[in-house]
Amino acid sequence: MTRILVFAEISGDKEPSDEIISYCMKNFQNAEINAAVFTTNNDTHRLSATGLDNLYLLINENFLNYSTEIYKKAAVDFLKTHEHDIVLIPATPSGRDLAPGIASALNAGLTADCTEISLDEDNLLNATRPTYGGKLMATILSKTTPQFATIRPGALKFSGFSGKENTKITEIYPEIDCSKLKTSIISYTKKQNITDWANAQIIVAGGRGLGSKENFDLIYKLCEKIDAQPAASRCAVELGWADAAIQIGQTGSSVSPKLYIAFGISGAMQHIVGIENADRIIAVNTDRNAPIMKISDVSIPADAVTVLKTLINEFYV
Amino acid sequence: MDKKFKILVFIKQVPDTDDIKWTENNTIQREGLDSIINPYDLSAIQTAVEIKKYRVKNAEIIAASMGPAQAEEALKQAIALGADRAFLLCDRKFSGSDTLATAYTLSRFVKEKEPDFNLIICGQQAIDGDTAQTPASMAEKLNIPHINGCKSIEELTDNSITAISETKTSISKIKAELPALLTIDAKGTYIQPRINDYIRSQDTKIITLTSGDISADKERTGYAGSPTYVKKAYRAMKQRKNTIIEENYIEAIKNEITSAGGGQT
Repeated sequence: MTRILVFAEISGDKEPSDEIISYCMKNFQNAEINAAVFTTNNDTHRLSATGLDNLYLLINENFLNYSTEIYKKAAVDFLKTHEHDIVLIPATPSGRDLAPGIASALNAGLTADCTEISLDEDNLLNATRPTYGGKLMATILSKTTPQFATIRPGALKFSGFSGKENTKITEIYPEIDCSKLKTSIISYTKKQNITDWANAQIIVAGGRGLGSKENFDLIYKLCEKIDAQPAASRCAVELGWADAAIQIGQTGSSVSPKLYIAFGISGAMQHIVGIENADRIIAVNTDRNAPIMKISDVSIPADAVTVLKTLINEFYV
Repeated sequence: MDKKFKILVFIKQVPDTDDIKWTENNTIQREGLDSIINPYDLSAIQTAVEIKKYRVKNAEIIAASMGPAQAEEALKQAIALGADRAFLLCDRKFSGSDTLATAYTLSRFVKEKEPDFNLIICGQQAIDGDTAQTPASMAEKLNIPHINGCKSIEELTDNSITAISETKTSISKIKAELPALLTIDAKGTYIQPRINDYIRSQDTKIITLTSGDISADKERTGYAGSPTYVKKAYRAMKQRKNTIIEENYIEAIKNEITSAGGGQT
């Protein structure tokens, strides 16, 4: 039986690994679905009641904060003794930092930041990812085991856990020789207000076409009125109008809301790939030929700022 | 003379992904595609130049790239931007490398040619592959610590570096023993070559190294050494039925918002 392992909740990010576990349970029913978590204690873990076949608790007090060096060694040692066919790691910043080191130590292939995964007739992992700035999708296989992939947060939709009983829980106590460590984390601050893309029903995004930071702020105003999540194109972030935390697309996030409204966004491929899973897309842009106007459900050739201002006045809080 | 503080900067020549054209079969038209230095790597060069200028008296910047002969241009540019010398790892045996094979090849270069390095600086990712995997994979091969997404350097001594690493979700201050590897996010603004450096770049010979020169195991480089392979590639596109609304669009947007469950009018 194909054994799949998910490294879950790295840096405390639950949703990205929940999405992967949920997707695997639903789509790979003939496989063994396991998870490993880095934790500081052997308290009952929330993942113990989700329907995993195995939950491995990697326990050490030094796992409190993410550290590449400490996590990598523990993960490599664990995988040497607990063999898996497929290892999936969320493509969060910590996951993308951790995965290449583990795969390199095991001389195994790793596919980065995948947006789709499937198993083929030979039960090999087919990992699909956007490349060339999101312009090309590539399905990548690995000749070595374990087959590693990092999975982009938001790319696989969460659809509940199987809730199957009899999860086997194994406590593992990796040894860490602190005197040999080459790095120390002097301070670690988790950014507040991390964007909750997974629960966003409506996302309103702004781009360079808005013309100024002042105009970009209209995005926040509209979002407040209609209870939507604000988002930004890479351009808007690079211009300093919006925080990188709300950037969509390659190196940003993928989203799958019911409705996505793009104001003044031209639609670089990386952005388009990031919003592909939205149910509906509306684009407002004076440039009729902007790429986003071609791929939207509804395109409105109009001035984004004027439309935003009008809409804000149309809604009560 | 004091021992030099060696900074290795790895760069990659990439196609300008903002300028991609498609063939009729929806494959990328590779001919005539402009090649540029990966923008993240420009930031890596810039960081090295700043260290040399402001932090370490006796620094030497060595640029290296694995790629075809034409990548020599990128290395000349690196010298024009302030690198002291440069190596091109160029061999047919290197072609088709995935991130693991690339990391192995680069680590062989380091071990063979510049084993007494103090710091390696890489761009955080390349705009063609966007995998961001090679630096961390190489750090593992060299058994050195790495700091990802380095935003600024707080302190640099003979045997350690303290840097601020910023990601989408966290900010941390990390101290690492040297030698170490840093990856740099794109800074958005780039240094320009100085005239003297530009002239020097034209006169500097880029040293080309083959698989044999770095004692690489041919089973671990190029296609042979790459565990991953592309099964298929296709143009990213999902077709939607596109409707253009020229009038009463405010009403239309309001209706869409309401049916998605948002707002009160």
